[in-house]
Amino acid sequence: MRAARTAYPLKWRVMDALEGVAAAIWPARFRRATPYLMLLPAVLLVGLLVLGLIQIADASLRTLDTTTFQFSDNYSIANFRRALTEPLFLVVAQRSLIAALIVTAMTLVFAFPYAYLMVRTRSPGLRKFLLIALFLPFFIGQVVRAYGWLIILGNQGMVNEALGLVGVAPMRLIYNYPAVLFGLVQYMLPFAVLMLAPALTAIPEELEAAAGSLGANWVRTFIHVVLPLARPGFIGAGVVVLTLSLTDFAVPAILGGGSQDFIANAIYDQFFRTSDQGLGATLALMLVALGSILVGLVFALFGAGTLAMGRSRA
Amino acid sequence: MKRFKPTVSHLSRRTFLQASAALGGASALGLRGAYAQEPEKPAEIIVRAWGGSWVDSLKAGVSDSFTKMTGIAVRHDLTEDNEIQPKVWAAVAQNRVPPIHINWDTTTNATKSALRGVTEDLSDLPNLANVTDLAKPAGLQGFPIVNTYGYVYVLAYRPAAFPDGPPKSWKDLLDPKFKGRLAFYNDGIGFHFPAQVAGGGKLEDIPGNMQPAWDFIAKMKAQQPLLGEDPDFTTWFQNGEIDAACTISTNAREARKNGVKIEWVVPEEGAKFDTDGLWIPKGLPENELYWAKQYINHALTKEAQQVWLDGLGLPGVVPGLTPPKDLVGDPSYPTTEADFKRLIRISSKIQVENESEWFSKFKAIMQG
Repeated sequence: MRAARTAYPLKWRVMDALEGVAAAIWPARFRRATPYLMLLPAVLLVGLLVLGLIQIADASLRTLDTTTFQFSDNYSIANFRRALTEPLFLVVAQRSLIAALIVTAMTLVFAFPYAYLMVRTRSPGLRKFLLIALFLPFFIGQVVRAYGWLIILGNQGMVNEALGLVGVAPMRLIYNYPAVLFGLVQYMLPFAVLMLAPALTAIPEELEAAAGSLGANWVRTFIHVVLPLARPGFIGAGVVVLTLSLTDFAVPAILGGGSQDFIANAIYDQFFRTSDQGLGATLALMLVALGSILVGLVFALFGAGTLAMGRSRA
Repeated sequence: MKRFKPTVSHLSRRTFLQASAALGGASALGLRGAYAQEPEKPAEIIVRAWGGSWVDSLKAGVSDSFTKMTGIAVRHDLTEDNEIQPKVWAAVAQNRVPPIHINWDTTTNATKSALRGVTEDLSDLPNLANVTDLAKPAGLQGFPIVNTYGYVYVLAYRPAAFPDGPPKSWKDLLDPKFKGRLAFYNDGIGFHFPAQVAGGGKLEDIPGNMQPAWDFIAKMKAQQPLLGEDPDFTTWFQNGEIDAACTISTNAREARKNGVKIEWVVPEEGAKFDTDGLWIPKGLPENELYWAKQYINHALTKEAQQVWLDGLGLPGVVPGLTPPKDLVGDPSYPTTEADFKRLIRISSKIQVENESEWFSKFKAIMQG
């Protein structure tokens, strides 16, 4: 008779053995701590980042001796003093901050109608088209896209050639601040749409219909119903675009023509061009601080939006 | 910051062309005497290099013939010189084997590594007996680096943009018609010293008083120049974005080879003359160090230099090299005393000690 083996197949025995091992490693009395165990990978990851930040903080307090190209053994705040007093770093910080704010505002303005149409359209074909158009740039990458703009907007690019057809002389469309802003908005648009879309999906269409049936035209419906309910999406998208723009390197480097550096470009220069890793570390810490303060301000004023995973601010 | 009195020299042809020993005395594998027998050959050695025509020239002149001679393959690592530097420094500090065997580097960058103490001493290379004074790094003990050629930061220009003839002075670039049509290196390298002269200052005042340079650069800033790296200049000339640039003559020559109508001059204020070199990071296994030294020794032979530097269009450190036909009499390939008198050379030591400050100052002006 084969009953015993059939009644208790090999797979079950393996599972029993695995359970036994698991129970030995993580006994039942630890069960209440199991959810915290799930956090372990994230804690490890964040821990590594914190360790890196500690090292960067240590480097930021050491100055470079240019006679030996070694760092000082003793700590000082000389790098912070330089970062806060040298005009170059103030100009670059100001430019980065203003650009991040402008790019965030412009991206949200452009991203909202796109996301709204993508969510609300009744045409599956149009929705697919919008989704593909949204995801294609992700596959191309930031640097290639920036170089693409050089080809399109350059002196001998498509735009200037088209202008030439109507008698307009070639004009400098790239290597300036507006070009950097334009490149950043184009780069950030998909991020913002992807952050806005879930928030818009969560707004029941019936609410808009109800507003209409109560006499509100589409403008009033948009201002008094859609926009307030889309706020979590705006906050989430805004925070993501703001931080990515503030810390961007490639677009200012490629479309700025060398004269529109952001903080990240200044950090690169210190690490790789002048070998002053102490000053580079100082600028990196200040960038982290600036970004954290901005995000903290947004969270304090408006809540965490979609980044709060659906929990609204009390 | 500690300041040093600048060592400013106009190179003399005699010094430059001086040969110190007979070539035949040194064999290509002249270090063999230090070893009872040839050390084990590695499968390959890795040489960091710049891309494009730079690495093509190195391959044709040095690497291929080295492989043919020794059977050791040469891999060219095209990581930027500025980016490989912290990797090498970190490897040496952590007692790891460095990621490259040989760094082809600017003398200024290489001097930083030498001052930090991460370079091997190359004084025992037999072919150093045959090189000119240019091969010796100024202000350093021994040979932590071997300079392998010199180069000039010329004023390159599109002849069509200068219908009245070539520019004579860096000041010619201040003409309003060139607004937005000029280019410089994004850290100002190559332009600081001519700007000091064009701004009415003296080279002897470097680095103590460079205000004339900053004033002249501030005037140039009003011209809204583009700022970039080596490959950008060729691209910008090719795409019609610029009319003139301060760049290494090799880049201008490369653009001309690509069909761009481009010429270059050394303006009356002079042009910066500098050198590049080869060095070996500390921490290599003994046998790999030996063969890395052999590579550099080979790069100092007349045959290797002739092919390598024909490709780059630059004057080498071995006497008797023949200039490429298109560069005979060209100020970017200095051979006469008059050529050298127009060039500006500041010691690497002064440059490395002040470079950070100069870069910041240039950037502060241009980014403002």
